[in-house]
Amino acid sequence: MDQFPVFAPISPYTHALSALLIAVFLVLLAILLLETSLLVYMIIRYRDRPGAPEARQIFGWNTLEVIWTLIPIGILTVFAFFMISVDREADPLVPPGRKPDLEVIGHQWWWEINYVASGVVAANEVHIPIGKPILIDLRSADVIHDFWAPQLGREIDAVPGHPNTLWIEAEKPGTYMGECAEFCGVEHAWMRFRVVAQDQVAFDAWQRAQLATPPSPSAPDAIAGAKLFTDKTCINCHAIAGTVGNQTVGPDLTHIASRAMLAGEAARNTPDELFRWLKQPDVIKPQSHMPDFKLTDDEAHELVAYLEGLK
Amino acid sequence: MSQMVEAGVAPAVVTSEREGLLKWVASVDHKEIGILYLISAMAFFLIGGVEALVIRTQLLAPGLHIVSPETFDQMFTIHGTTMIFLFVMPMLTGFSTYIVPLMIGARDVAFPRLNAMSFWIQLFGGIILYFSFLAGGAASAGWFAYTPLSEKAYSSLPGVDFWIVGIACIGIGTLAGAINLAVTILCLRVEGLTIRRLPLFVWMTLVNSFLMIFALPLINAALAMLLIDRFFNAHVFDPANGGSALLWQHYFWSFGHPEVYIMILPAFGIISEVIPVFSRKPIYGYEFVAASSVAIAFLSFTVWAHHMFAVGMSHVANLAFGVASMTIAVPTGIKIFNWTATMYGGRIRFTTAMMFAVSFLFTFTIGGLSGISFAIFPLDWQLTDTYYLVAHFHYVLVGGSVFGIFAGFYYWFPKFSGRLLSERLGKWQFWLTFIGFNLTFFVQHILGLAGMPRRVFTYPDLPGWQVMNVISSIGAFMLGFAVVLFVWMIFDALSKGEIAGDNPWEAWTLEWATTSPPPPENFDRVPPVHGRRPLWDLAHPDRADELVAGA
Amino acid sequence: MIGIRERGKIGVGLFILSEANFFLLLIIAYVYYHAYPGQGPTAASALNVARTAAFSLALFASSATIFMASRAARRGHDGALVTWLAITIALGAVFILGQAREYYDLIEGGLGVSRNLFATTFFTLTGFHGLHVIIGLVALSITFALAVNGKLHAETRDGFGAVEWYWHFVDAVWVVVFSVVYLWSAAS
Repeated sequence: MDQFPVFAPISPYTHALSALLIAVFLVLLAILLLETSLLVYMIIRYRDRPGAPEARQIFGWNTLEVIWTLIPIGILTVFAFFMISVDREADPLVPPGRKPDLEVIGHQWWWEINYVASGVVAANEVHIPIGKPILIDLRSADVIHDFWAPQLGREIDAVPGHPNTLWIEAEKPGTYMGECAEFCGVEHAWMRFRVVAQDQVAFDAWQRAQLATPPSPSAPDAIAGAKLFTDKTCINCHAIAGTVGNQTVGPDLTHIASRAMLAGEAARNTPDELFRWLKQPDVIKPQSHMPDFKLTDDEAHELVAYLEGLK
Repeated sequence: MSQMVEAGVAPAVVTSEREGLLKWVASVDHKEIGILYLISAMAFFLIGGVEALVIRTQLLAPGLHIVSPETFDQMFTIHGTTMIFLFVMPMLTGFSTYIVPLMIGARDVAFPRLNAMSFWIQLFGGIILYFSFLAGGAASAGWFAYTPLSEKAYSSLPGVDFWIVGIACIGIGTLAGAINLAVTILCLRVEGLTIRRLPLFVWMTLVNSFLMIFALPLINAALAMLLIDRFFNAHVFDPANGGSALLWQHYFWSFGHPEVYIMILPAFGIISEVIPVFSRKPIYGYEFVAASSVAIAFLSFTVWAHHMFAVGMSHVANLAFGVASMTIAVPTGIKIFNWTATMYGGRIRFTTAMMFAVSFLFTFTIGGLSGISFAIFPLDWQLTDTYYLVAHFHYVLVGGSVFGIFAGFYYWFPKFSGRLLSERLGKWQFWLTFIGFNLTFFVQHILGLAGMPRRVFTYPDLPGWQVMNVISSIGAFMLGFAVVLFVWMIFDALSKGEIAGDNPWEAWTLEWATTSPPPPENFDRVPPVHGRRPLWDLAHPDRADELVAGA
Repeated sequence: MIGIRERGKIGVGLFILSEANFFLLLIIAYVYYHAYPGQGPTAASALNVARTAAFSLALFASSATIFMASRAARRGHDGALVTWLAITIALGAVFILGQAREYYDLIEGGLGVSRNLFATTFFTLTGFHGLHVIIGLVALSITFALAVNGKLHAETRDGFGAVEWYWHFVDAVWVVVFSVVYLWSAAS
């Protein structure tokens, strides 16, 4: 992932933003250098020292006032024109009748992603095909969040009661950073997500895998884990296709093993970290809504075996 | 012709015969109340600073557990609330309360008892706010308390209620203080001191009073409705039950934006006094500095939704607020240019006050320029809610208001106490502050461009994030040390500082025409006022300002 | 140059500007939620416009009576001053009692402050207005007590002027609130 995502746009929406940002920075920097040079000049040239002339009791010059009013107005007027044109490029109007491709719902503290056309349900890891504009319908299930993948599109709030739309697109394949950019409670820091952009073939394969119901577990510890998933009430919050679990309180876990990260990127999706997450959610993501079920080590291992089979 | 005029007629004030603590508690003298404001604000500055250092310590490395996320959230919420409502505003009010009556040749403010009430209710509000730490935890929904996060459903503990009541008390005190100062300036000026001759610090205080008069009721209305939501199970700002989360934002920012100008205008006033005095010449473009302040005050009510560019307003609304926000940069720029031009042809004395004033011109400009990058609203969509935003507002608030406050302290402390702060230590304190401040906040621009969001208790180990956080934290500790040094310098000066005399800076406004500190009735005799610099005119009758300017 | 004698009136004038902004936001909230009513009672179904108009007349009349009181003060007619002040307070009290009765009936009928957004914004707006009336009545009572004891002379007249302006303001706010709530929103 790029160190300065706002300067590494890979989307038609963010190219314009990045270019304008650089241009504006250069102008602002020039203004700052001008003011700083003037200050340095003044403090050196007009410092009090033996033999320095008396200060000149001048009160001002109207012409100069007009000049340094009109020039900034001119510069800002130029900025205003770009403001309008870049607005159109970064946030184009939605053509009438155009349906969203994704319905994204922000929760405290995870992202629910629903693929409108195919019916795929994902969490925190968004896959998209490259080269296509993706329209997102953005909502919140609770408080205000903000969906921001800086290389792919602008940030925009997910406001309860006020649905928003957002365009993103990826010109080339890769994994791109995303984060919640509006303080939404204790675990705002770990409401991160990623966008995985894939060529059409790979994306279609991913979608097919996501739509498939995972096979029933065959290894003994995985079977035990599947039973624990029900007995320990995990299904009261998490959905897994092919089981009775269908709640959306927590992320859909049907294909949890296909994801790179856990818990809004608070942990990596490895068996060890998944084990730690199940045993000590309060250490990895304190005060998240994931309870500590006081699992024994064996129970946790069995659950890990089950969940890591849900590819 | 030096005709001495009787001191301006003021309401009869009974000078207190009491001694000690009771004298301070019962005082209705504007000078004592001013000192109370300064002491209280300084105490809250230190407390708010500790909160900041907790934040910066927790962020030294990714994955630290120095404080819990809930505690961290309380820290940044209360840090912001404290610095704004309990430090910057009362500190500037303290300067105005002490200095404005002196600058206009008056004996006291128009309503001395109201003045006392303003201070004590503000302090009471601060105590209520901090009591929340003992009552289940302070508010942790951020200093602007967006709904529905700040509603009962998501903030079930009473911290937000204490926050609401605390701010309401502070708001009432501030409003009363604003009315008091406005009436004082309009009604109690000494003979000859027309509006066009007002010292710019007085002018800024007057304009600022109007800003407070129109802006504070807006947050009081919003707070009242939030309290009704929380206490009476109403849903004005609760979208789950028909209310509007965005209505809160509109209401809050319609106050919140004028609020930031409330925090900077008096600092503009201080700079407008300090730079001319230490350049040894009058302010350049007085009328333009004054008029641009009025323009800023009006415009500040038209820009509020630039805090909401990312919520999904219409293109038209974004454009309107973007254009308005850029417009407000023009009068601000005019001031910067006039202050800079004031130094032209001068004979500059680099006292510590002047050093803070000059560096204000540098750091506030950086903050103002980064503000323009936000006004261009599509850019806001890549910058807002990151550390770039945190850098921006600290450059204008600390690099602006706080540097102005330091300048004001070094300038007027001799008048308050009769003693000079040590210029030798002052140089050290200045450089520690300047370097510490820039170290803390400049790197945050870059951190924000790297994508780090604000209000996060920890962060992933992305390239460069930790290094930049460490640099920022080092700067913060340096800044903290500089503030502690300043407090020590105050005590040191009070006990063994050099005696200041009436007018140690050879300045020209009326507060320097009396002893340091002034007597209870402020003046024995007020010098005649025939221009903007009465003491200059007195010392140079053949080159009096209005003779020279032909006014 | 404005002088020290006018400071009370100017102070109250500034306070009035401030409070006007406060009420503005409450009115905006009321009007906004009138457009998005949700379920439950509305202004049209819940409010008794005629009854409220009746006790509103008392408040409007009290502006005239306080003007008479201030004229009496200027002319030095202490007896008339005391009488007009008493009538003003009585009319203000009629208004408050009328409003209290209205609140009682609404709440008994199931319309509490949290019933729906009409109820919340209605009670908030009219409630804060009522609070301002009560504060005005306290100020008027103090003025009355001073007048009865013959202490309302030249130097304190500026204070009375300030109270008068405040009372007119409270009345003016009710003109707006009554129009918006009872005439406009109860009809649409």
